[in-house]
Amino acid sequence: MNFLFVVAKSLTRVLSQAHKELLQVTRRPAAFASLILGPFLLMALFGAGFTGVRSPLSTVLVIPPELALPRETQFYQDLAGPALKVTAVSERADEALTMLSERQLDLVVIAPADATRAVREGRHAEITVAFNEVDPALDTYARVIAYNLSQAVNREILTRAVEEGETYALKRLDTEDLTEIPPEVIAAPTTAVTVNQSPVSPSIVHFFAPAILALILQHMAVTMSALSLVRERLSGTMELFRVSPATALELLTGKYIGFAIISTVLAVAIVLLVVYGLGTPMLGPPLALAGILALVVFASLGLGLLISVIADSERQAVQLALLVLLASVFFSGIVLPVQDFRDVVRILAYVLPVTHGITLLQDLMLRGEIGQLWQIAVLAVEGVALFLVTTLLLRRQLRRSVRG
Amino acid sequence: MQTGPAGNDEPAPLHPTSDGPAAASAPPGSIEATSPYSLGAIPTVPAPPPAAPSPRSPRGAPPTPGVLPPVVTERPVAEAPRPVTRPPLPGMAVELHDVAVTFGSVQAIQGISLSVPHGSILGIIGPSGAGKTTTIRVLTGAVHPDSGDVRVLGDDPRYFHRATREKIGYMPQLFVLYPELTAHENANVVGALFGMLWRRRHRRVREVLQLVELWDSRDRRASRLSGGMQRRLELACAMVHDPQLLILDEPTAGIDPILRQSVWQELRRLRDDGRTLLVTTQNVGEAEYCDVVALISEGRLIALAPPDELRRQALGGDVLEVETAEPFDIRRFGQVAGVREVRVRAARDLLFVADDAGAATPLIIEAVEQTGNEVTASREYRPSFDEVFALLVGRHRAEVGAVSADE
Repeated sequence: MNFLFVVAKSLTRVLSQAHKELLQVTRRPAAFASLILGPFLLMALFGAGFTGVRSPLSTVLVIPPELALPRETQFYQDLAGPALKVTAVSERADEALTMLSERQLDLVVIAPADATRAVREGRHAEITVAFNEVDPALDTYARVIAYNLSQAVNREILTRAVEEGETYALKRLDTEDLTEIPPEVIAAPTTAVTVNQSPVSPSIVHFFAPAILALILQHMAVTMSALSLVRERLSGTMELFRVSPATALELLTGKYIGFAIISTVLAVAIVLLVVYGLGTPMLGPPLALAGILALVVFASLGLGLLISVIADSERQAVQLALLVLLASVFFSGIVLPVQDFRDVVRILAYVLPVTHGITLLQDLMLRGEIGQLWQIAVLAVEGVALFLVTTLLLRRQLRRSVRG
Repeated sequence: MQTGPAGNDEPAPLHPTSDGPAAASAPPGSIEATSPYSLGAIPTVPAPPPAAPSPRSPRGAPPTPGVLPPVVTERPVAEAPRPVTRPPLPGMAVELHDVAVTFGSVQAIQGISLSVPHGSILGIIGPSGAGKTTTIRVLTGAVHPDSGDVRVLGDDPRYFHRATREKIGYMPQLFVLYPELTAHENANVVGALFGMLWRRRHRRVREVLQLVELWDSRDRRASRLSGGMQRRLELACAMVHDPQLLILDEPTAGIDPILRQSVWQELRRLRDDGRTLLVTTQNVGEAEYCDVVALISEGRLIALAPPDELRRQALGGDVLEVETAEPFDIRRFGQVAGVREVRVRAARDLLFVADDAGAATPLIIEAVEQTGNEVTASREYRPSFDEVFALLVGRHRAEVGAVSADE
């Protein structure tokens, strides 16, 4: 009976903390709005605003006068596809290059004047592709586009050469009845057919939606909990905790429960938005989804409460929460693949709950499976470890003598 | 609660502890001569007879005198081994023995020794920065003393048992509750924090909010309460779990005089109910409501006595105020047995400092009349506590200054 009484008292303390956290969050309309409406708006903006298609590169083609190639812009536009916008076909390379240096153009493609002769002599005819870009991502993109375009132009040159009965290249192919083969096949003997084995071919928005979901949940949980204890310490409530019979374990458990309830409400709302609002596929079982989200929230709350215990001020707590967000954006795999980082940095990436959350949620929602079971274990272990460390630190703070 | 000779609810006279310096060696006329609670002494109050367990609070009964509570030996803390401390004195709710706390180079409190029996009110009074809050924080375990021994309800505050914590109510000096929560919710949270189960908590929250006249404002958020209402809410929260020991750091600061009266009325009712109260205040007049007053200045306990005894200490004895028909010529006033000093306040208004005002009064009147004058009125002179406080602190500072100058 006495034991039951003790348990009931302990439970009362835990639940009162949970209730208090719930009340506090809901009583701060601005914070509540930024926590709940903010993620919704971000998700909606992301879904509505992101097209996933790069705007076409403004391009001028330079075809030397001696080259027997068409001069119609549309002809090259059809060859290039939607990634390029062929604005003109010119015969003067210097003019086009000047425009490029003045950044009026994105790309200048210069066909070789001696293409036929080069081929006859067994050399490559070089197509020059010039661009003016400092962004390494755009640089790579421009190179790929230029390569594709050069391939297309190459093919066109070869096709025309074959049509004109130029057989120099054909003789070298050591084939008997080449004359019956259409010139475009000789010019491009192979084409690539791609087959994607994934159950769905998600759009960019659908692919990123689970990652955004994990990121928002982590950020919300970290921010919300990071301010909790530091505020109580600064306001002096901790002094009351010191005198009260409540233990660090009870206080923290109460806070975990309170924040977990708020996080659950938010998680459900965001998942509904992601699945029904944005139409993101949900191929895995809902229970598994709930489990993964619970682990992400559990570990994130641990991170937030750890910040709350070590931060000296609310400002520092917010700064640390933002640092976690920044690290998440850089290292979680949402922008750049985790595998591309060096081992040391990858460890940092795996400390972030969102890193595991992204992989697990994308696998579950878009593939219908959990590919990386070890990540579930890492999330669980991290959550428990953070809970224990935070409890020990809080216990120490409650027992430590106040100075000054 | 042991009562004084008059049979009122004042506590019994206080006595020094045996380990304090001998007061008898002090020169006559000084504080030391008239009071056993001298500078640097380790005064204490005797244990009262056991109070009957309150019907309103069965767990409020003090320990039986003569039976030493067990020395605490469990719950070792990883940070530091538990020091060996003296066993708690029976009947004492709070004990401090030669406690000192230093913050960096600042000596916050030094050599504080006092004991508070169960069922009494100790008022801790002193100027701002005197060390009152530090003393309170030592008792709550928030500040660990650099030296000395502390016992609160038999426990060392650094290693309070959970059951002991449940018996302590604490009201910090600043507002530490949750501004977003209503008055009712705050009291409810604090009650739950102290382990009160729902049914009892529900009843007590109502009781304490009614007591501090906040029941009508129970649904107002704490942030929207006035300063005085916030103090009352904190007081309610400190009392909500019906603690055996209440530690209140300036509970009446910012509260209007009428409500202050009712707060003190409630504090005395709690005392009568067997509770022990430690109350700091800058409002010196409130010393009158306490059973014992500890006067702290510059980190030192400079007086510890019941309010009337403090007056005696400040003035050097009982003081009789006498008004005469004609202007009084002090040169014609001869020696009167038991009268130490005569102070002229105005031409016809005199103060006689005597060992015993009752015995000295007829002698004084006779002596005045022998000078050819006539006594038109005589009464006991009761200086305000502001005056008492100023006298004692001033005297202490002068003595400290003199010692410093000698060194």
